[in-house]
Amino acid sequence: MLEIKPIFNALCRSKVGAVLLLIQIAITTAIVSNAAFIIQDRISYLNQETGYPEQDIFKFNVMTFGTDINLSQQFELDESMLRKMPGVVDAALSSSIPLSGSGSASSFNLKPAPQEGLSVRTAYFFIDDHAINTYGVNLIAGRNFTEDEVLVTNEITQKRTNVTIVTKALLDELYPDGDGLEKIVYFGDLPLKIIGVIGNMKGPWLKDSKPDNLAFIPYIKAASYAQVAVRTKPGQRAAVMKEIENAMLENYSKRVINNIKGLDELKNEYTAQDRLMMRMLIVLITILVLITALGIFGLTLFNISKRTKQIGTRRALGARKSAIVSYFLVENALICSLGLALGVVTAILLGKMLMQYFSVAALPPSYIAVTAIAVFLMSLLAVLAPAKRAANISPSIATRTI
Amino acid sequence: MLQMNNVSKVYQTEMVQTHALRDFNLHVNEGEFIAVTGPSGSGKTTFLNIAGMLEPFNEGEYLLDGVDVGRLNDNQRADLRNQKIGFIFQGFNLIPDLNLYENIEVPLRYRGIKANERKRRIEQCLEQVGLASRAKHIPQQLSGGQQQRVAIARALAGEPRFLLADEPTGNLDSLMARQVMELLEQINRDGATIVMVTHDSELARRAPRNIQVVDGQLADFTLYQGAQTIKTASGV
Repeated sequence: MLEIKPIFNALCRSKVGAVLLLIQIAITTAIVSNAAFIIQDRISYLNQETGYPEQDIFKFNVMTFGTDINLSQQFELDESMLRKMPGVVDAALSSSIPLSGSGSASSFNLKPAPQEGLSVRTAYFFIDDHAINTYGVNLIAGRNFTEDEVLVTNEITQKRTNVTIVTKALLDELYPDGDGLEKIVYFGDLPLKIIGVIGNMKGPWLKDSKPDNLAFIPYIKAASYAQVAVRTKPGQRAAVMKEIENAMLENYSKRVINNIKGLDELKNEYTAQDRLMMRMLIVLITILVLITALGIFGLTLFNISKRTKQIGTRRALGARKSAIVSYFLVENALICSLGLALGVVTAILLGKMLMQYFSVAALPPSYIAVTAIAVFLMSLLAVLAPAKRAANISPSIATRTI
Repeated sequence: MLQMNNVSKVYQTEMVQTHALRDFNLHVNEGEFIAVTGPSGSGKTTFLNIAGMLEPFNEGEYLLDGVDVGRLNDNQRADLRNQKIGFIFQGFNLIPDLNLYENIEVPLRYRGIKANERKRRIEQCLEQVGLASRAKHIPQQLSGGQQQRVAIARALAGEPRFLLADEPTGNLDSLMARQVMELLEQINRDGATIVMVTHDSELARRAPRNIQVVDGQLADFTLYQGAQTIKTASGV
């Protein structure tokens, strides 16, 4: 038997505690639903498919101080040495390293500068014909660069590169009708023919609004500072990383090999802040939910000690123990429902604010619904133990003076 | 109506055993109005609690309207209390957050009575205690006497055959006490059996039958007086 009406009326007559709890439940619902969404968003961001076998790829930096060599030739020697190392699948000089947080970006245009036309921002790597194999990415259409198409130089030259391989995301943005392969795009005023398409491959910045736009341009500008990417056979990366410095110095010693890092490590460094934020949010909502649960628990205990005589009287007047338990459950459910109603509205408003000021994606209603249900269940759980305690109050309390 | 045979109640703490009731025997007939008196600590309240099934007893047998109370479980006792017994407490025990109407409604809801029937009974009972116009008031807004009348209305609403009153006038001034007493007498004339615990001897004398509890046992009035005389004579 549920006494909703008299419980509601009684609540209206002594509402301070109830209103405070109601506000607490509303705040909890609003914050938890938004935080849960942000956490979920971060998790899918951190776990997103990058297109690379991150565990098998590493990079290192080469800083050459020796001036007694031809850098271009030296790099060609280095590359062929690296590719022959046991455990190595492929290696390539790469102007930027994916997922690392540093790289170059520019615009690809449908018309040569300075003409106006569709312009799409994209990250690009200057890299050679070993790029696809070194990064272990998937060519879904077209072809790879040929060796002849790669321009290797450390001098200013009239020879220019004229092809590019792009990601499908970039291609689709440039040519939404899907007919971009073999078309020309302009890198400044340099015309590049799109000869190959890669399915999925992230650029240097996961947080970028266009993390999937990336282009390979077959051009190696030999310089005293260079980055090299290496892919090893599964499970052999650590061993290769250990040997890499000696192997490179053996080839030529007047240089420094440093910053030897796995692609997964680079990604972790880049996303460290996101992971920290996610953990803090998890701690925050756990604390918040615990405080709310304790609040409900405490308020119910307080109500019970305040109403000991009343509970005894109710028992004397014929209330079964179950009626006392249900009294507190219904009372809590009423407060909680009102709190949740307010919480849902607050959650939507908070979500809109976060969207407006922090460019968080729109809060899906399912998050609010799941949070509301969870808060409701938690509140029932929190109230159950004190309510059972109340039910055990002896009816003989009614005749005693307290 | 009420039959207690050799009922005993012992309160046990780590240090001491207190015999609140000892081989207590009492028979109350339908329609009687009994005043229970006795010095404090004599077991009056324990008797009332056991009679009202508010606490269990240790030994003996208690039949209420033919039902062996000792064999009932907690839910059955709650239901039987609800159906057969109307309680009137010294402190009124009204629920402060409920208005008069809702207070009287409490036992009726526990019995599962339908809303329109509840309304009929509540209005009738409020009328009977002269507070029909104040149904929406909360207890705080009433005087002590009025509150006790509401409590009586609450006891009456369930149409009990047995009213248990615990010092019903204990918190009232003499004028209000008289009014409440008159109300109880009227209820008794209407057919309810009343057992009233009091230590106001004047009030007790208005009841047709008086019993006394001394040291947890039923004592004859004269026997009790005799005991007092002996004690006084021996200088204790």
